[in-house]
Amino acid sequence: MGVVHGEEMVLNIGPQHPATHGVLRLQVRTDGEVVSKITPYMGYLHRCFEKHCENVTYEQVIPFTDRCDYLASMSMNFGYVVAMERLMDIKVNERVEYIRIIMAELQRIASHLLCTGVFGLDLGAFTPFLWALRDRERILDLFELTCGARLLYNYMWVGGLSHDLPVGFVESTFKFLDYFEPKIDELENILAHNKILVERSADIGVMPKDIAISYGVTGPNLRASGVKWDLRKDDPYSIYDRFEFDVPIGQGLKGTVGDCWDRFYVRILEIRESVKIVRQALASIPKDGDVHQSLPKKIRPPKGSVYARTETPRGDLGYYIESDGSPIPYRLKMRSPAFTALSVLDEIGGGWLLSDVLAILGSLDIVLGEIDR
Amino acid sequence: MTENQQKLIDELVNKGLDGDMDAVNAHQDRMVRAKAKSMIMKIQKGILKRPPLKKISPGEDPNGDIVQNQEKKENEQESTSAKVVRKLLEKFPNEIENEEFDTHIQLKPDKWFEIATWLKSEPELFFDSLQCQMGIDVQDDILESRYNLHSMKHNHYVELRIAVPRSNAKIPSVEKVWRVADWFERETYDMLGIEYIGHSDLRRILLPDDWEGWPLRKDYQEQETYHGIIVPKMKEGWE
Repeated sequence: MGVVHGEEMVLNIGPQHPATHGVLRLQVRTDGEVVSKITPYMGYLHRCFEKHCENVTYEQVIPFTDRCDYLASMSMNFGYVVAMERLMDIKVNERVEYIRIIMAELQRIASHLLCTGVFGLDLGAFTPFLWALRDRERILDLFELTCGARLLYNYMWVGGLSHDLPVGFVESTFKFLDYFEPKIDELENILAHNKILVERSADIGVMPKDIAISYGVTGPNLRASGVKWDLRKDDPYSIYDRFEFDVPIGQGLKGTVGDCWDRFYVRILEIRESVKIVRQALASIPKDGDVHQSLPKKIRPPKGSVYARTETPRGDLGYYIESDGSPIPYRLKMRSPAFTALSVLDEIGGGWLLSDVLAILGSLDIVLGEIDR
Repeated sequence: MTENQQKLIDELVNKGLDGDMDAVNAHQDRMVRAKAKSMIMKIQKGILKRPPLKKISPGEDPNGDIVQNQEKKENEQESTSAKVVRKLLEKFPNEIENEEFDTHIQLKPDKWFEIATWLKSEPELFFDSLQCQMGIDVQDDILESRYNLHSMKHNHYVELRIAVPRSNAKIPSVEKVWRVADWFERETYDMLGIEYIGHSDLRRILLPDDWEGWPLRKDYQEQETYHGIIVPKMKEGWE
């Protein structure tokens, strides 16, 4: 047989494509089915978040943060108020802290449910996606009960919350958790140990530790690579240091540490840990305390800057706020976790088949609203 | 508050910090007492600086030795920025521009790449993760690039700032040191037009390639039309 010449081809995936989870264009250079280079093009959803922030007051920024990561709006709110409270030196009362933790962890469950469900969908499993959405719906119902919105909440305010918990919230959440815990096992059984999914995701798209750290990959993606790093444990904000929970890391149960399967499985383990935190918080939440108690009349932070990070479902969310003493931010930068997670795609995606690239992209759990801001 | 009161508070704070809390508690004016206590709290947290000590001629004050000892102790538990500054001055003299390092370290742009490589490799500092890089338009025609560094191993942070004039907005790229800087620098270039020298692929990242101007500069004017589409003007305030 003579020499076989490969021929390179450039292929565009997206901007409108179900596997890109939003409006993202991947320009892929392939030789047959083997991908040699991936160039992501984004900005299709760019809404000038940072420019807008320089034109509105500090409290008006909160609804914008909702719309950045629309799958984890509570966590985005949380990061912003933590940064603002650090800048203004505000201390909120215990009840507010507990409610914030409950909301953030419920949000983490909802976001991870969607991620694992969609990851299955990317690899051709349709049923678990519907199961995941069914349970996520119950969490959205709880949010709707609390603040009236199902997706974009504008719930956490600087120095407090927009509403207190409604009557019966604690009971309904306990009821939900009792219902939900067996469902995690169900989801794990149908997805995680499914032979097809294991074949499609184990040993694929391995992200070594040093690559992950150098690319600024954080959150579940970093932990899947075997780095035990969680801001809730290692640099606790709010009152996370009071709760007992583990930080699950990738162990390479089905293949190598840091492969797609690990990134997917770490999220399932994290759902369990979040359930633990919510249970502890619900059990010890103080009965009294006004959620509007420390709301400042006028938000005018002193001159200076602050960089605060919080752990969202997608990783370290950082807000860098520069204040010049006026009620309008001088400069506000959001360091988005999905932005850095997407930048690693070319590094770990090269050399795999086209269908594997989509599995890798799905396992990184990106949200385009947050990447494009 | 009168100057005398401030002096009194400073004196009380110094006494309190040296361990003589009784002197603070015994003071009669409630306001002075409260202010002194809150100041002590803030100094202990590291938000405020200690008020200057009164000059003591040797032999006059018996507490003199204790004060000196305490200062030594504070030096031992130096903050991360102080540590970085100390090591930086040994390795790269003449590269630091600011004199107080409470919040950040201001660097000159010329040797930034060498400094960054050193910050990552120096075992005692080991800043292996670039948390955040952002650009900002500060007043007087100055653009600034800010870096929030973090060490996973030692769990410490430092903020570095590099200022350049608008007419010559060029900073060495650290893309090869921390790979995440690749996209961060592209974003800063996109928004503020800071050019990163040595970057392998410096294109706009969020805006279209043929967009005009740098949106996050404070004197930015929107272009009138983009490919025949009218660009809406930014509203003043919110309606």
